[in-house]
Amino acid sequence: MPRPPVLLALMAALALAAPARADYPEAIRDVILPGYAAFAEAAAALDTAAQASCEAQALEPAFHTAFDAWMAVAPLRIGPAEEDGRALAILFWPDPKGLGAKAQAALLAGEPAALTPEGLAQASVAARGLLGLERLLWPAEPLPADPCPLVRATAADLARMAADLRDGWQGDTGFAQAMLSAGTEGNAEFLSGPEVRQAIFTLIHAGLEQIADQQLGRPLGSFDKPRPELAQARASGRSLSNVVLELQGLRALTESLTPDAPLTLAAFDHALGLAEALADPVFAGVATPGGRLKVEILQQAVRALRDTAAVELARELDVDLGFNAADGD
Amino acid sequence: MRLTALLLSSALASPALAADPAAVLDTYADIAEAAYGDSLTTAQALQAAVAALVAAPSDATLQAARAAWVAARVPYQQTEVFRFGNPIVDDWEGRVNAWPLDEGLIDYVAAGTATNEENPQAGLNVIAHPTFTLSGRQIDATVLTPALIAKTLHEADGIEANVASGYHAIEFLLWGQDLNGTGPGAGARPHTDFLQGADCTGGSCDRRATYLVAATDLLVADLDYMAGQWAEGGAARAAVAADPEAGLMAILTGMGSLSYGEQAGERMKLGLMLNDPEEEHDCFSDNTHMSHFYDGLGIRNVYLGAYNRVDGSVVAGPSLSNLVAASDAGVDAQLRTELDASVGALQAIVTAAEGGMAYDQMLAPGNATGEALILAAVDALVTQTRSIERAVTALGLSKLKFEGSDSLDNPNAVFQ
Repeated sequence: MPRPPVLLALMAALALAAPARADYPEAIRDVILPGYAAFAEAAAALDTAAQASCEAQALEPAFHTAFDAWMAVAPLRIGPAEEDGRALAILFWPDPKGLGAKAQAALLAGEPAALTPEGLAQASVAARGLLGLERLLWPAEPLPADPCPLVRATAADLARMAADLRDGWQGDTGFAQAMLSAGTEGNAEFLSGPEVRQAIFTLIHAGLEQIADQQLGRPLGSFDKPRPELAQARASGRSLSNVVLELQGLRALTESLTPDAPLTLAAFDHALGLAEALADPVFAGVATPGGRLKVEILQQAVRALRDTAAVELARELDVDLGFNAADGD
Repeated sequence: MRLTALLLSSALASPALAADPAAVLDTYADIAEAAYGDSLTTAQALQAAVAALVAAPSDATLQAARAAWVAARVPYQQTEVFRFGNPIVDDWEGRVNAWPLDEGLIDYVAAGTATNEENPQAGLNVIAHPTFTLSGRQIDATVLTPALIAKTLHEADGIEANVASGYHAIEFLLWGQDLNGTGPGAGARPHTDFLQGADCTGGSCDRRATYLVAATDLLVADLDYMAGQWAEGGAARAAVAADPEAGLMAILTGMGSLSYGEQAGERMKLGLMLNDPEEEHDCFSDNTHMSHFYDGLGIRNVYLGAYNRVDGSVVAGPSLSNLVAASDAGVDAQLRTELDASVGALQAIVTAAEGGMAYDQMLAPGNATGEALILAAVDALVTQTRSIERAVTALGLSKLKFEGSDSLDNPNAVFQ
């Protein structure tokens, strides 16, 4: 039976009056897919720049743009990012055994002709990606060989991975579709919509934990033994801005997932305010009592944010926390 | 706003859990007691074999000690599933199974291999240096004791790669570095590294022997402690029994964290993506395939509520599987199928390794067969993690509540 026009009008009015819809389809459409598209574009521009020149100065702007774009999507450790070791290769960190420098030294000492993008795709993830480029553009010591072929191969490899990631989310067989078709016949990945909400909630929680424990925790070290040298992307001066960008990305993801998380969004803003006010781009201040305190306050704010998000988002989304890739030790 | 009673759930009121969580938790603790008990007795056998090696170093006594180490790994790896959910285990585990290590801290290594830009002690070589400076402090290591290893050397300078104790430190002393890269062959330390007097190779054989004995004694003491924690009246057993809801969540948290983040991620996929033969769990002995297999088996053990002891007897009882089945038979059936699949995929790695392709060879760049074997196991472990999450939901449990935090202890505080 066709619906009476009055009812249709009423439904339309209700739809207009309702707050902006927000759920995982919106998170995918408004945040995740544009995030990966921006990273693919920035990585392609970096590749183009590297093929034109491999001078650090010339590459610096494109390097930073690509790194910025990655940080916005870095916490999305799911689907295509987890295939072929992409997330690991794009930003291999932390590296407590110094494997990146070792593997890269071996590549530099080898045949330059072997440094093709195809060859590099087979190399250790520790030698590749953004921090691989950083080591070549801001070397700690003079490099043993002309880094140019490796700079170009690394940039090309990065651009390829970024395109693969973007493509892996799109299309009928893409990961976005796997999420959007949750609960339909034949979808073994997500058996219901709540499973998708749980997966994204778990990524937000794990992302905040990794910022507090790793990006802030590693340079903080202990009071007796601060470890400023362990800050992420220290050579390119990005340690703090990486934290800011990641928080911004997670905030956008949260907001797109649910409009009704005021405490979590306020906690994001508080942590972001502290981070943006922190005039310590590579957390060098952790070595002094005053500087250390500021980084610790930021770390506490991120942990408080994580706990607030845990309670509020779990309640709002009606899901529990799932397991995440960092659950090991 | 989607309201939920998640954090206020009273899972124990649901009919599923009428199947007696207490009995399931008894089985869990019984398996822990048996598996840590077996770990202790096999470590004591290793201790005896090490004593024989040190007393009369020969190829035969060295091989016997290595065989005892390999045997000791069988029960121990099956206890790894008790990690992540039980704080008593987590606070202790780093002493016995820490990995990966900068082995140059302990003994001599090949030139150029003891470098780690993040670890100044990567080439310390305690065996060759009775005294040295650590964090600006002068250390007297003339007498190598279990206490010195545990309190001064282990995680020296707060660096995790400074592993001075546990299975892998002992493994390094029994096998030495595996310098074959991704080619065939394990570590090849000669028994002469333990010979006293003029025939000693590698230098400081007396200190090497003392270190090995001290590290083995320490392992036995640590395992003895943990077996006691799970015995009748032990603190770990009491902890899981105290709150059945938290106890069940401890089982599932151990299963999920070991499956996904630790085993599939940190130990298997990462090593493959690094193409680094050092990134295998038992990198000196080439016993990684067995360690991975028994880890996977341990996950299945605690779900099915059954463990095969080293003496051939079986510890079994009411299982988590029974509980999940009562609540959602589909989830239980799927999880059981997936646990069988991951054990099968890990068995395929064992079969390939025993057929001549060691785990480090599987990590070689371009070894498509090895890569496929490892990725199949990774995929199976990741897949079962999703069903472990479904089992959490089926039982009305909450990982969030279990992980706890100040705000979660008082959820209303956040909403005031």
